[in-house]
Amino acid sequence: MRVDPGERVMLLGPSGAGKSTLLHALVGALGTTLSGDLTGTVEVGGVLGFVPQAPGDAVVAERIGRDVAFGPENRALARPEIWARVDRALADVGLTYGREHPTSALSGGELQRLALAGALAVEPDVLLLDEPTSMLDPDHAASVREAVRRTVAARGATLLVVEHRMGPWLDLVDRVLVLGRDGALLADVSPDVLVSDHGEAMGRLGLWMPGLPAPTPLEVDPRLVAPASRATSVVAQDLVVDLTSRSMRGVARTRALDGVHARLDPGRLAAVTGPSGAGKSTLLAALGGLLVPTSGTVSPSRHRLRSRELAAQVGWASQVPEHGFVAATVREEVALTAGRTGRTVDVDALLDVVSLGALASTHPFRLSGGEQRRVSMLTAVAHRPEVVLLDEPTVGQDRDTWAAVVGLALAAAGEGAVVAAATHDADVVDLAAERVEVAP
Amino acid sequence: MRRVLARTNPLALMWIGVAALLGSFAVRDLPSAVAAATGWALAGLLVLPSWRYPVACLALCGVSAGLVAYSAWRLGNPDHAPVAALRILVLAWPGAVVVAFVDLSDLGDELAQRLHLPDRPVAAFVASLQRVSGFGVTLQQVLRARRVRGAGPHGPASAVRHAGSVTFAMLAAALRDAGRTSIAMDARGFATATRRTWAQGVPWTVRDTAVVVVATLLALVPVVARVLT
Ligand SMILES: Nc1ncnc2c1ncn2[C@@H]1O[C@H](COP(=O)(O)OP(=O)(O)OP(=O)(O)O)[C@@H](O)[C@H]1O
Ligand SMILES: [Mg+2]
Repeated sequence: MRVDPGERVMLLGPSGAGKSTLLHALVGALGTTLSGDLTGTVEVGGVLGFVPQAPGDAVVAERIGRDVAFGPENRALARPEIWARVDRALADVGLTYGREHPTSALSGGELQRLALAGALAVEPDVLLLDEPTSMLDPDHAASVREAVRRTVAARGATLLVVEHRMGPWLDLVDRVLVLGRDGALLADVSPDVLVSDHGEAMGRLGLWMPGLPAPTPLEVDPRLVAPASRATSVVAQDLVVDLTSRSMRGVARTRALDGVHARLDPGRLAAVTGPSGAGKSTLLAALGGLLVPTSGTVSPSRHRLRSRELAAQVGWASQVPEHGFVAATVREEVALTAGRTGRTVDVDALLDVVSLGALASTHPFRLSGGEQRRVSMLTAVAHRPEVVLLDEPTVGQDRDTWAAVVGLALAAAGEGAVVAAATHDADVVDLAAERVEVAP
Repeated sequence: MRRVLARTNPLALMWIGVAALLGSFAVRDLPSAVAAATGWALAGLLVLPSWRYPVACLALCGVSAGLVAYSAWRLGNPDHAPVAALRILVLAWPGAVVVAFVDLSDLGDELAQRLHLPDRPVAAFVASLQRVSGFGVTLQQVLRARRVRGAGPHGPASAVRHAGSVTFAMLAAALRDAGRTSIAMDARGFATATRRTWAQGVPWTVRDTAVVVVATLLALVPVVARVLT
């Protein structure tokens, strides 16, 4: 494979195809920082800018100004130029907190935008983006794409972008590479040809071809997710949550939720929506009793429950799947909470639903981003809790795995569970029976 | 007063720790030990903005101070036990507390621009320590996830096991993070940078001089006490 200077390339493929691995090869991390068997060679010329898939992996400083300045510093720029670039990059991605804001006090989507600002400020010759807008609302995603377009155009830089929801990116690129499930290169075409000639085949591969209707959610055996106890509505009133990130030098306090009312009813899938940083993750955590409200009430109130009591009632999939992983294999991970709460679980059936059967004995940390998120989804439903809270469950999924994830959520709701998903995914919002909008 | 340390130059902060260490060598008898400990404690009362962390440091230093005192007593030198304990506190506590006030980016600036240490190692050092400062948030998320997964503690014995397993998980996370940080750095031009600049300068203010002078005086307290008694 050869990408010439100035080419703008989109890299597509189903979840687990090896897209991120390819980008890691290009930044020179394979065989050095990441271990494994490696054959063949990679050559890249010029200065790189890379946005990794997991938000937060790109953070290199405690405050956002210095974080973005790291690239310009490496290019040995003078101070005025460094700060001009920092301010421009932060504005481009819509981070308005100011240079001194701590990087530890950012939401998932905000971290994603910070990583992009850091890469843009380098003004790289080669810009590598791994799902840079997967956790952004449409407005922020559009301004991020515009910033990428401008940076690439200004310098004639090479662009390589991975994104499942390819639609809005297609007119930014002039070439599309498609990896198959086994990681082999399936197609190398122009975006027009991809859409006109390969639309159906690529749709079958699970790619989100523009123009295709949303996939039909998978029919999941309801017994796999039917709540073990009867669900009651979860109601939040006048909910206020302050998040603090504390150090001896001071406290960064953000009012994440300010007087929110929300109601989740049994038997319905609710979509929790709102722009990046609005407080969706915080709302889910508060509704599930994972954090203590600053004021206001959540009923039933669960934040005082012991670990196992809480687990028996609530399942939660974190926005960062790795935070929730405890076990050494995918199989143990999925079985864990059921074991703690004394419930039965059909691990193999569940793994088959999300196409992870072949990876049952793999360590959860060795999975791709999309695969980890599916394991995380299973850990939230496998022990059949009455409340299921999912934080961005469809990020990084192809059409097939999306159908499985959404199928699980709908099946749980169909069996009477309270199910809520914080999401930017319009297809999930369309399917949801309820919408909880969080204002920033 | 209570905001002084948060705004002090990292090198001046480090000097506080070094001064305390050097001063502790002059602690030889009870009067000098009490004088030194009182001096640092008073300074702490005046400038520390919050209590939890300093007290935690005191508890940790207290453990080693207790061990030292105990062994002095066991070795048949009971008079020396309190002196030995106080000396350990004077030696370790001020440094442990002020470290928390060091801004990592500022420290990197100082190391590279004032002390002229090589650029690349300094930048790498700062970026990897930065991960440690983000640990608090990660730990909170990890504990939250474990609790809702039924993997939280449920009794004293399991609390110990839980602490062990969380510690292990955080260590593993630190190892993973080290790899990710190095990828993140290389992917922003660090791999190809032979020379780099620094986004901020290294200001030194009157306040920093004052902090250095006061720390030096505090270090001299036990010396003065011994001369006087
Ligand atoms: N640990 C923290 N300390 C202080 N502020 C925080 C912390 N975590 C998040 N915040 C802030 O709280 C607000 C809400 O964060 P939250 O993660 O709930 O947003 P979100 O709607 O889920 O965003 P996203 O769509 O980007 O995931 C944001 O403004 C964020 O900057
Ligand atoms: Mg979120």
